[in-house]
Amino acid sequence: MEATAEIKTKARTKPDTRLIGELAPIVGLVLVVVIFTLLTKGALLSSGNLQSLSSQVITTALVTIGAVFVFGSGYFDMSLGGCLCFTAVIGGQVAIATGSLLLSFISILGISLAFGIAKGIFATTVNVPFFIFTIVLGSVISSVVLVMLGSESTIYLKDAVKEIPSLTFTQMTAVNVIALVVFFAVCLVLFNYTPLGVCIKNLGGSFIAARQSGINTRKTTIIAFIVSALGVAVAAFIILLRTRTVGATTASGVGNDVMVALVLGGMPLSGGPKSKISAGLIGAVTITVLNSGLTIMGLTTGQIQVVRGIVFIAVVFVSSFSYRGKLLPR
Amino acid sequence: MANEKELIFEARNLTKHFGPTIALNGVDFKVYRGEITGLIGENGSGKSTITSIAAGMQPATSGEMFFMGQPHSPSTMLEGAAAGIGMIVQEQGTVSGISVAQNIFLGNEKKFATGPVVSSKKMNEEAKKALEAIGFVDVDPAMPIDALNMQDRKLVEIAKVIYNDPQMLVVDETTTALSQKGRDIIYDIMKKMRDDNKAVVFISHDLEELMETCDTLTVLRDGNLITTMTKDQMNEDDIKRHMVGREMSGDYYRNDFGGTISDEVVLKADNITTGTGMLMNFSMELHKGEILGVGGLSHCGMHELGRALFGEEKLLEGKVIDMATGDSITSPLTAKQHGYGYVSKDRDKEALVLTESIKDNIMAAGFDKVQKGLFLSPKASKKYVDKQKADLSIKCASILQDVQYLSGGNKQKVVFGKWVGRDCDILILDCPTRGVDIGVKAAMYHLIDEMKKAGKSIVMISEELTELIGMTDRLLILKDGELNGEFMRTPDRSANDLVDAMI
Repeated sequence: MEATAEIKTKARTKPDTRLIGELAPIVGLVLVVVIFTLLTKGALLSSGNLQSLSSQVITTALVTIGAVFVFGSGYFDMSLGGCLCFTAVIGGQVAIATGSLLLSFISILGISLAFGIAKGIFATTVNVPFFIFTIVLGSVISSVVLVMLGSESTIYLKDAVKEIPSLTFTQMTAVNVIALVVFFAVCLVLFNYTPLGVCIKNLGGSFIAARQSGINTRKTTIIAFIVSALGVAVAAFIILLRTRTVGATTASGVGNDVMVALVLGGMPLSGGPKSKISAGLIGAVTITVLNSGLTIMGLTTGQIQVVRGIVFIAVVFVSSFSYRGKLLPR
Repeated sequence: MANEKELIFEARNLTKHFGPTIALNGVDFKVYRGEITGLIGENGSGKSTITSIAAGMQPATSGEMFFMGQPHSPSTMLEGAAAGIGMIVQEQGTVSGISVAQNIFLGNEKKFATGPVVSSKKMNEEAKKALEAIGFVDVDPAMPIDALNMQDRKLVEIAKVIYNDPQMLVVDETTTALSQKGRDIIYDIMKKMRDDNKAVVFISHDLEELMETCDTLTVLRDGNLITTMTKDQMNEDDIKRHMVGREMSGDYYRNDFGGTISDEVVLKADNITTGTGMLMNFSMELHKGEILGVGGLSHCGMHELGRALFGEEKLLEGKVIDMATGDSITSPLTAKQHGYGYVSKDRDKEALVLTESIKDNIMAAGFDKVQKGLFLSPKASKKYVDKQKADLSIKCASILQDVQYLSGGNKQKVVFGKWVGRDCDILILDCPTRGVDIGVKAAMYHLIDEMKKAGKSIVMISEELTELIGMTDRLLILKDGELNGEFMRTPDRSANDLVDAMI
C-alpha cells in the first residue's frame, strides 16, 4: 500500500483510560477492606474471621471465575445459585448412601456438567431470552431441592452408611488453595492462551459479528457453559467437604453474589470485549469482604441485601461512564 | 453583481471538537440569498457538521453564526426550524406506524384540533396541499407511511420541510437515496427556492450533480474551508485536487482491459431462493481470478446474494457450492473453512465489534491461522495483527485501541485485515468502499486488483456504478431478485447501459 493510503486518516485517539479501568477493581477492593476494617474496629481481619472469609471467598470465586465465560459470551445466567445448591445436595445424598466421597464428587461433576450442557444447548437453539430461562430454571431447581430433601431440611454427612473422614483445618485449607489456584490457572490459560477467549469476547460483543467472522458460536457457547459448570462442581464439593452438611439454603447467596462480583471485578454483565478472568477473583474477594463486614457490624440479612443493592447500582452507574456501551445483557 | 448579493447565513470562525477530533477548524462560511451553495469534501471533512450546527442538531465548540442579520445559536432543531432553516437529511426521518399526513404534521397537530379532537380530514387536506406543493401528487395522505417505499417516504419528509417555508434549505446527501424522479423533484425545489430569493445549501458526493446545480461550491478538507468557487471556476480536476489536497493519480480504478478470465469456476450459486424472498431461483458462477461485480437498485437482492454466497442467508431452495471441494456452503463457518471472506455492508453492526480492540477483531477471523494445537500465543497473535496493520496501513495509536475510535476508512481496513490476513481465495465484498475517503478507496481498489492478480476471486457488490465499471471483469445487474443484465469489461462502458438494466 503506497502513498495513496496516507491521505487524511488521523487515528481518533482518546485519553488512555485503559489503565484506570484496570486498576479500579483493585482500588475498590482495597477501599472495601480499609473501610470495613475501620468500621469493625479490626474485627474484619481477626484470625477467626479471616478463616471464615477465606472459605467463603473460595466458593464464590470458583463460581464467579467460571461465570466469566458464560457472562462474557453475552449470556446472563441467574440459575448458578440453584445449580450449586442442587449439585451439593445430590453430592450429599450420594455420600450418605454410599459413604464414598469419590462417588459423591463424580455425581456432583456429572450433574453440574449436565446442567451446563443443557443450558448451552438451550441458549444456542431456543429463541427465548436466555436470562428468563435461567430465572425459571433457578426457581425450579430450588423447588426440586425441597422435594428431594422431603421432611428433613438439612442432611448430615455423619449419617452416612460408613464413616466419611473429616478433614483437618490444614487439609481443608490445602484443598481450598489447590482447587482455587488450579481452577484459576486453567481458566486463565483457556481465556488468554487459547482461541476460546477471542471467541467469547467476540460472541459477547456482537453475536452477528462473531458468526460472520466464522466463529463456531454454538461450540463456543457450550464450552463456556461447561467451564462454568466445572467451577460450580468444584465449589459444590468444597462446600460439602467443609460444612459436612447441605440443605435447601446451602450457598443461597452465591447466585446473586456472582453478578455483583463480576461488576465489582471490573467487567460488564453484558460480557464482550472487556471480559476478564481476574474480574472473577477480585470481585469475589470484594463482595465476600463486603458481606462479612456488614455481618460483623450487626446488620440483618435484609439490611445487608439493601446495602449490596446500593453498591451494585453505584458500581453499574460509575462503570457505565467508562464502558460507554451497554453494561447489562441483551 | 457580487455587491448586490444579500447575505442570509454567516458562520464566523466556527469550530467543533469531538473529543480530540477536530471536525471543524475555524471555518468562515457564507450563504447568500438567490443562490444554491454546494458543499463538498471527503467523509469527515466537516460538511454535515456545519449544517447540523446551523440547524440546531448540535452546538458549536466556539465561533459565531448569524442568520438573516441576527445572531444565531439554536439549541434544538425546532429552534433552527423556527428561525427558518429547513433540513433534509440522509437518514430516514419519518416515523412508522402513522399516516403520511400525521408524519407531515408531527408535533403540529394542534393546527387541526378543536378541543382535544384532531380532525384527520382537515389534516389530510392540508397534507395533500403540502405534497402537491413539491409536485408529489400520486400519494394519499391518509395512507400509512409504511406503505410507501424509501424514496416516497423521503419525499414526504421533503414536503414536511418545505411546508414550513424555510428561508434556507439544507439538502444533505439526500439525492443518493433517490431515483431520477425523486432527484428531479429535489432539483426543482432547490431551483424554486433560488428563484424566490431564498437560499439552498446542497451537500453531495456527486461532483457532476453539484457542478450542474450549484451557483457556488465550497470545498472542505479536514475541517478546514479550502476554497469557494463560482460557477465559471468549477472544474472537476481542481475540485478533486482541493478535496484530496494533492494531485489524484490517473489510475484510480484498474486500467487494464481485454484480459481473459479463467474457465475454472470456483463458486456456484445453484438455483437459490432465499428465506427473505429477495432472490428467487437465482444462479450464478464465479471464476478463478475474476472480479465479478453485482449491482442494482436497493432491494434488488444483491446484498442477499452476497450473504448467501457466504452462507449467512437462509436458503429455502438451491445450494451454494464450493467447486473445488463440491461442498455446500451452509454457514459462515463452512465458508471460512473453504477459504472465503466476507465484508458486510453493515460494517459497524456485522463486521466489527466496536467496543473491541483492533487485535481481537482481526483475531476473531484469524485465530486458526495462528493457533498451535490448542494454544494461541499472545505473541504470535500480536505479530499476525501487526502484519495486517502494516500491510493495510491501519492508522491507530496501538492495535489494542478500540475500533470505535477509528475513522470509517480505518475501520474498513480492519475488516479487510480480518480476511486478507487469512489469505482468502474468495472474497465477497458488499459495498466495500462505503463511507470511506477517496484516499482509502484508492488503496482498496489497488488491494482488490492485487488480489485478482494473485489469482483470488472476488465478488464486488456495490451501489456505485462507476466503481463497478472501473473495477470488475464481469458485471451482473440484478432487478427484483433476478438477473437482468450481464456486462463484460470494456473501456467504453457507460453508466447508462447499466441503468437501463437496473430499472
